[in-house]
Amino acid sequence: MSERLATSEKQCMAPERAKSCDLCDVRGSSICADLGPREFTHVEKTMARRKISRNKTLMVEGEPNDALYIVVDGSFRLLKVLEDGRRQVTGFLFKGDFVGVRSTDESAYTAEALEDSSVCIFPHRYLDEIAIDAPGVKDRLIARGQTEYHKAQDHIVLLGKKTAEERVLSFLQLISKTIGADDGPDRRHVPLPMPRQDIADYLGLRLETLSRTLASLKQDGRILELARHFVVLAA
Amino acid sequence: MRPQWRKYLGVRAPRYTSYPSALRFDGQTTSADYRKRLSEVGLYEPLSLYIHIPFCRRMCWYCGCNMRVENDYSRALRYVEALNEEIALVGRALAGAGRPLSVHFGGGTPNYLKTDEIAAILEAVELSLGLTDSTRLSIELDPRLIADGDIESLGSLGFSRMSLGVQDFDPAVQAAINRIQSFDLIDSAVGEMRRIGVDDISFDLLYGLPLQTLDTFEESLTKTVALAPDRVAVFGYAHLPAALPRQRLLDESLLPADELRADLADLADRMLVEAGYRRIGFDHYAKPDNPLARAEMDGRLRRNFQGFTDDPADTTLGFGASAISQVGGLYAQNAKSLADYYDCIRSFDLATARGLILSPREQTIGRIIREILCRSKADIAPLMAALAPKEAAAVRGRLDALEADGVISTQGDTVALAPEARALARVVAMALDPDEKSGAPEAGRAFARAV
Repeated sequence: MSERLATSEKQCMAPERAKSCDLCDVRGSSICADLGPREFTHVEKTMARRKISRNKTLMVEGEPNDALYIVVDGSFRLLKVLEDGRRQVTGFLFKGDFVGVRSTDESAYTAEALEDSSVCIFPHRYLDEIAIDAPGVKDRLIARGQTEYHKAQDHIVLLGKKTAEERVLSFLQLISKTIGADDGPDRRHVPLPMPRQDIADYLGLRLETLSRTLASLKQDGRILELARHFVVLAA
Repeated sequence: MRPQWRKYLGVRAPRYTSYPSALRFDGQTTSADYRKRLSEVGLYEPLSLYIHIPFCRRMCWYCGCNMRVENDYSRALRYVEALNEEIALVGRALAGAGRPLSVHFGGGTPNYLKTDEIAAILEAVELSLGLTDSTRLSIELDPRLIADGDIESLGSLGFSRMSLGVQDFDPAVQAAINRIQSFDLIDSAVGEMRRIGVDDISFDLLYGLPLQTLDTFEESLTKTVALAPDRVAVFGYAHLPAALPRQRLLDESLLPADELRADLADLADRMLVEAGYRRIGFDHYAKPDNPLARAEMDGRLRRNFQGFTDDPADTTLGFGASAISQVGGLYAQNAKSLADYYDCIRSFDLATARGLILSPREQTIGRIIREILCRSKADIAPLMAALAPKEAAAVRGRLDALEADGVISTQGDTVALAPEARALARVVAMALDPDEKSGAPEAGRAFARAV
């Protein structure tokens, strides 16, 4: 476990170490937002940034993980392998989202990059050290740590919706809230970095049902533009 | 079969598709119990769905299923409506939890329904329980009801496993059981399945039917092997006319004697194994590259209400009249009659009529019995520990007798079924079952012969 960590530190700390957290895009929206200046100095020292290429994994289901990761660029899908070997998409991570809130001998899922992405890594043992000097850091992390739990909550709410239209539209609105951007009056640009099959799988729908539903939402004007990697929603 | 095993031929044993057997379900279990267990299902907990279609066009005289001959299709439409409502009710109780790994349509005759109705049921499953392109869809088919284009439509709906009720190819046997279907009919159904890429075709065969002889059955098996299904299930016909009045239509005097029954089972075993099939449990055969055979080799074989399966889900949800669900140590069986089933659904209630909440003791016994049936071997220490001293002594006595006859061997607490005694697996399971007081031939008239 320490070997794995050492490698990742070597790989990712060296080139980007100098980068200041001041320039971080996601600082305002991620767990760092809660840190005071003194805590922040510590965190900045121990944090490492790492690039994850498309299709590479950040953490692997069943394997130990001892770091907290914040997505600073790009996106990930969370996967679980079901009993018979099939994969289930259980969620997506975007800028500002994080995983690995507790260190574990067995990660509950795999996080795989949907595009070339970067994350900040906070090894838990450093976070423990900081906690000695700045008590409360961990508590605040854990307080925000519900986000992982919220992902599961979002998912179960989506899966509980009884029409395909509701399910798809709620999904798009959820993504819109996280990474959507206004794109002119009454237009909301929503990136979809994941393949359609992942969306269908996540929503418990067949690909054909998803395609048909997206087409019908486009037809009735709730989706203004429908492209492979984004939609424009009527705001 | 060894001479000293002949005495087990007349033994009647439960099929142990569940433990305790569905005959022990009682009316204490209610829809509220079922609903509660459903609400405890985990977010990504694998689910196996069973959808029961009770209608048939004609009556087969051997049938032991919950079915009815129906000539008015509007009644089937009404049933599908209720079924879809039940699926929605279960979906509401699950509230987004659970992931269906497989959906199996059984009967009766699932292809009594037209493809549009089957598509509508799948849509209800998709919206209420979730259905993805990787969910395995399987269906039992009556070859006589397959119309042009049906197989292709089912294929495009995503059905990748199709099971044909063949029973026997011999015309005289078919006449005696009132199920007449030509070889050409089966041949063309299989051809159509292969053409559209179905790579998991299963045949059901029955031995112990009227007029069956070693010659006729050999011919049926030769035809089976020629059509090369991926799986074959060889069931012994269960003649229980007292419990199943329709079986009285069948001429009892034409039934093969116990000895012949055993020889027919042996013949099927020999011919299928020679043809390259792998033995799965005590009555299934599969080509070595079939998922069922792979599950057996990897020790992942399971037993559910359909028989031996590679489906890994612990939770089975059954839909439709008489369907049985198994969730979190609970068995819940739906009302059997259509009228009762409709009454429940109409009042927006789950249709549970009977069932059982398993005690830890029953769960342990069930687990060990499934081990013996699926892996031919089990450590019986937990079972013995769960029994009262008197019961444990009785189980020990029955096992000793089986060991003396070479049916099983024991090493410490591990009981292993002798490889050639695979057909007697249910007798061994019954020896472990404290509720089956005796393995004597006169016991348990409600059950079918073990062989």
